[in-house]
Amino acid sequence: MLTTFLLLPLGGAVLSALLPHDRAREARWIALVFAMAAFLVSVVMFVMFDRTAEGYQFVDQFDWIAAGDFTIQYVVGVDGLSAPLVLLLGLLSVVAVLVSWNIDVKPKQYFAWLLILEAAVAGVFISLDLIQFFLFWELELIPMYLLISQWGSGRRLYSATKFLIYTLAGSALMLAGFLVLGVEAGTFDMAQIAADPPTEAIVPMAAVFWAIMLAFLVKLPVFPFHTWLPDAHTDAPTAVSVMLAGVLLKMGGYGILRIVVSIMPEQAIEFRTVLATLAGFSVIWGAIITLRQTDLKRLVAYSSVSHMGYVLLGVAALGPVGLSGAALQMFTHGTITGLLFVMVGMVYDRTHTREISQMSGLMHRMPVIGVAMLLAGLASLGLPGMSGFVAELTTFLGAFGPHPTATIFAIFGVVLSAGYILWMIQRVFHGPPTEQWAHLTDAREWWEYAAIVSLVVAIIGVGIYPAILTDVVEAGIAPIAAIVEAAS
Amino acid sequence: MMLPDIPQAAVWAIYFAPITSFLVIVALLRDRPLQAGRFTILAIGVAWLLSVWALDTTIGHDGEALAWGTHHWFSLFNFEVSFGIRLDGLSGVMIFVVTSISLLVQVYSTGYMSGDGGYSRFFALMSLFTAAMLGLVMASSLLQLFIHWELVGLTSYLLIGFWFHRPSAAAAAKKAFIVTRFGDFGFMLALVLIWSKTGTFDIAEINALAQDGLSAAVLTGFVLGLFAGAAGKSAQFPLHFWLPDAMEGPTPVSSIVHSATMVAAGVYLLARMFPAVDASPGEVQTTIAYIGGFTAIFAATMGVVATDIKRVLAYSTISQLGYMVMAIGLGGYVAAIFHLFTHAFFKSLLFQGAGSVSHATNTFEMPLMGGLRKVMPVTFITFLIGSLSLAGVFPLAGFWSKDEILLDAYNHDKILWVVGTAVAFLTALYMFRAIFMTFFGEYRGGAKPEHGGHDAHDDAHGHGGPHESPRSMLIPLIALSIPAILFGLVAPSGFFGELVEGALPEAMRHFHFHANVVVVVTSTVAALGGIAVAAAIYYAGKPQSSVIRAKFGPLAPVVERLYYVNEVAEDGIVRGALYNGAARGAALFDKYVVDMAVNMVGTVTQFTGSILRRTITGQVQSYTSIFILGVVGAAGALLVLSGGLLDRLVP
Repeated sequence: MLTTFLLLPLGGAVLSALLPHDRAREARWIALVFAMAAFLVSVVMFVMFDRTAEGYQFVDQFDWIAAGDFTIQYVVGVDGLSAPLVLLLGLLSVVAVLVSWNIDVKPKQYFAWLLILEAAVAGVFISLDLIQFFLFWELELIPMYLLISQWGSGRRLYSATKFLIYTLAGSALMLAGFLVLGVEAGTFDMAQIAADPPTEAIVPMAAVFWAIMLAFLVKLPVFPFHTWLPDAHTDAPTAVSVMLAGVLLKMGGYGILRIVVSIMPEQAIEFRTVLATLAGFSVIWGAIITLRQTDLKRLVAYSSVSHMGYVLLGVAALGPVGLSGAALQMFTHGTITGLLFVMVGMVYDRTHTREISQMSGLMHRMPVIGVAMLLAGLASLGLPGMSGFVAELTTFLGAFGPHPTATIFAIFGVVLSAGYILWMIQRVFHGPPTEQWAHLTDAREWWEYAAIVSLVVAIIGVGIYPAILTDVVEAGIAPIAAIVEAAS
Repeated sequence: MMLPDIPQAAVWAIYFAPITSFLVIVALLRDRPLQAGRFTILAIGVAWLLSVWALDTTIGHDGEALAWGTHHWFSLFNFEVSFGIRLDGLSGVMIFVVTSISLLVQVYSTGYMSGDGGYSRFFALMSLFTAAMLGLVMASSLLQLFIHWELVGLTSYLLIGFWFHRPSAAAAAKKAFIVTRFGDFGFMLALVLIWSKTGTFDIAEINALAQDGLSAAVLTGFVLGLFAGAAGKSAQFPLHFWLPDAMEGPTPVSSIVHSATMVAAGVYLLARMFPAVDASPGEVQTTIAYIGGFTAIFAATMGVVATDIKRVLAYSTISQLGYMVMAIGLGGYVAAIFHLFTHAFFKSLLFQGAGSVSHATNTFEMPLMGGLRKVMPVTFITFLIGSLSLAGVFPLAGFWSKDEILLDAYNHDKILWVVGTAVAFLTALYMFRAIFMTFFGEYRGGAKPEHGGHDAHDDAHGHGGPHESPRSMLIPLIALSIPAILFGLVAPSGFFGELVEGALPEAMRHFHFHANVVVVVTSTVAALGGIAVAAAIYYAGKPQSSVIRAKFGPLAPVVERLYYVNEVAEDGIVRGALYNGAARGAALFDKYVVDMAVNMVGTVTQFTGSILRRTITGQVQSYTSIFILGVVGAAGALLVLSGGLLDRLVP
């Protein structure tokens, strides 16, 4: 089933690329069909997921490359940690296709790369082998680089390159770390390494820990490795921003939980205070800088820095509740920031500017977009009844015991987020109607509605009934928490 | 007493009735304003009937909580969240207050809001607010309470900004949300702290643990955190300054959200957690009492100089909430709730009266009014009743509840008693100043109707001079006059005190009604003195108010500028220290220090790339070259990290 999830978008990409030139516009239908199919597979997987069982489910496995003592295998599977992320990826990929509906510059290539991006991220979330994980991690860079540099705006080449360099610098360290781990353990199979993790290596384990951790911290991102994010977002097309904030950042958080904490719990415990400090600082730093942003998209991008600090804080708590909070936050932030970027994109499509100071009173001309933006903003500032609140509260509860100071800072981030969100709403949507924007039209295409509604349903649905998610997350976090417990 | 006990499902129905009307309006009645209004009234009417039943049940149980289980919401390991209803004397009274006032305000709104383009939206939001407020008061767990606490904050935001095309309304809405969020920061800390120490959010369990078991340090943090939340919601100094601006919302909103119910939620929270407050160290309670007392007199002085009638009432609300908070800090649980109860009715009445006046004159500025008692007799008489009740004139409701607070102050802290009595004088002064400026003298012309969205007058109301309001607005005014007159009379029997004390553990129930001659006489003298001074200045004109103002010298403008709190908070702290200070510094640091390191790396790479690009062109190739660089870098890192690694890879 998971292999199907991985191959569907690849198949779509191939078909899209093979389209005759005069029918290039139809690539969007191919992309939509294949993204929808993959999404349905992820929904079926999520529904069928056995919430009472720990460990990996829907596993597909075969040996791929055998070299001496080492076999590099193809092995995919999900547990309660990755299952929600796979579902999130399925959903956001459909949304990404929808919001790209009017792309007319080289649409064949565009949709092919978008689908390849989905496949690459899918590979990261479902791979259970370190080398395989690394390959997908690298594969994701190609479509991202091209999508930003070819279909982006502004300083797109600079931003795409910056994104590339950051990630590559991180992944170089990551690969080194993986090789050390694999060589010491005699296997690259994640489950096997986690069951019997190497306790010492030819280099200090702390070095291995930080090598791998840095790669993930860059991706997450946290201060001071975050400056690639606003640039990449600002210059990326809407769909790519949705994917980037929605799922690509989660690769960092996922990697920390799946690999760093599960395989090196002792080092995680040793450095938890450093991580918590970084997290608390990142939350406040990101939020304060968000306050200053004058570009709508940069504002949302910087708010992600702040919100991903919560993920790291939950991880640093290392208890079951805190880790669950981190896992929940990854899912909820994906849907919330996804919606924010979708809405920013719709505003930009109409006003052709992202300068907040240029806008005023847009609510009069586009109430649907305004209300959707308000909902996304309220979810982002942690309003109860929306998904973000549950995740943030869980994180705070889990983190307060071990890290009271960092948690207090993080909670203050909630006050700041109310500041930048509501101020943005006031400046962009409130105020009297203006001549300048009298010609704007509201959302009225089916694909605009589909994108908005699907994300709003996900946000409010999880907010009102979090048990959809929490049962699965609990099943996924329990073994990780047990590993940490055993190590301390 | 006649009725059987209310089943739990029926209490849930009180909560879900307004939720239903919200959903129905959003889904079906967006374009049918008339039905939206009627459906809201129907739903809240049902809720009101059930709330009477609920109140009757709690009376039958002497205010003790009904033993009802909770409903599981979700859980993550030992973090379990359940929702339930805690129906006892305290919540029974609150449910009754919320549904009663909400029902009357909805009726009033059908008249006041008629013709407004956002009529359906208004009733949808009012329904949502009512539901959230009901959820807040009936919650059995502190987390459930907090969730609804935030939701009433949301609806308050949306209702203050109801006329969002006005920049002032949009700004006021944002300000209200953010200032109260500062308080909620404390509330969230309290939640996180208490959970990490007790592992529960259940209100009864926390209160029981607080009475024996929790350390003084934990209780101090917990109660101060809750108090921060309460200070935000209930507009206590220094978080009070959002409430006067909140008057930008439609007047029916002010009449329920920003006077009777939501702003009282902070006091309710402290009362709900009173066993914890009571167990906290004395310094904590004293702090609460003094902040309340200071807020009461501080806000009252601003009420004396305001010229906008709604703002007078807003300062009055802050001041009266200060009374209640002071009572809580003094251990006067019953007095605080009793005053909350009576205040809800007469303050709602006064706001609706102010709305009725502006309906006739198109303004809230009292200097533009005058002489309205002749053309608006019903509004005048009901407003007078509300003012007398608020001023604490015997035997109206406000007299009884205010005296219980002053009595608690007299018994525990003479300074606060003096402050409280001075507040009683100022209260009578500013209310009768408002009455004389609004209803006496000559009509000063009002203002021209503001087309396209001011307080919802259809154009027919714009000409022909001031006139009495429609019946839909007068009925609620008359209905609210009854509790404003009568509801204090339950005090001497001790019935109310016993009912709300039923919510406390048995050991803490010690309410007995008694009156103290000194307190009664001084407060009555203060109230009548206030009325007399107001009459002398604003009716007889001897001495002229400008003469008095001059006597106060430089103090008068300070009060008129509201003690510069807005300037300090907005220009000083938010704009100055945060936005232009810390945020600017951080943004610059991010750009020039953090990012510079990267750009240096970037420059080097771009340089390398440009060399490569001379021989190989195209994006994919450029990627490939960077990828190769990456792999080389990885291999390099590998070699650095491990000298012997290669030997082991290649046997």
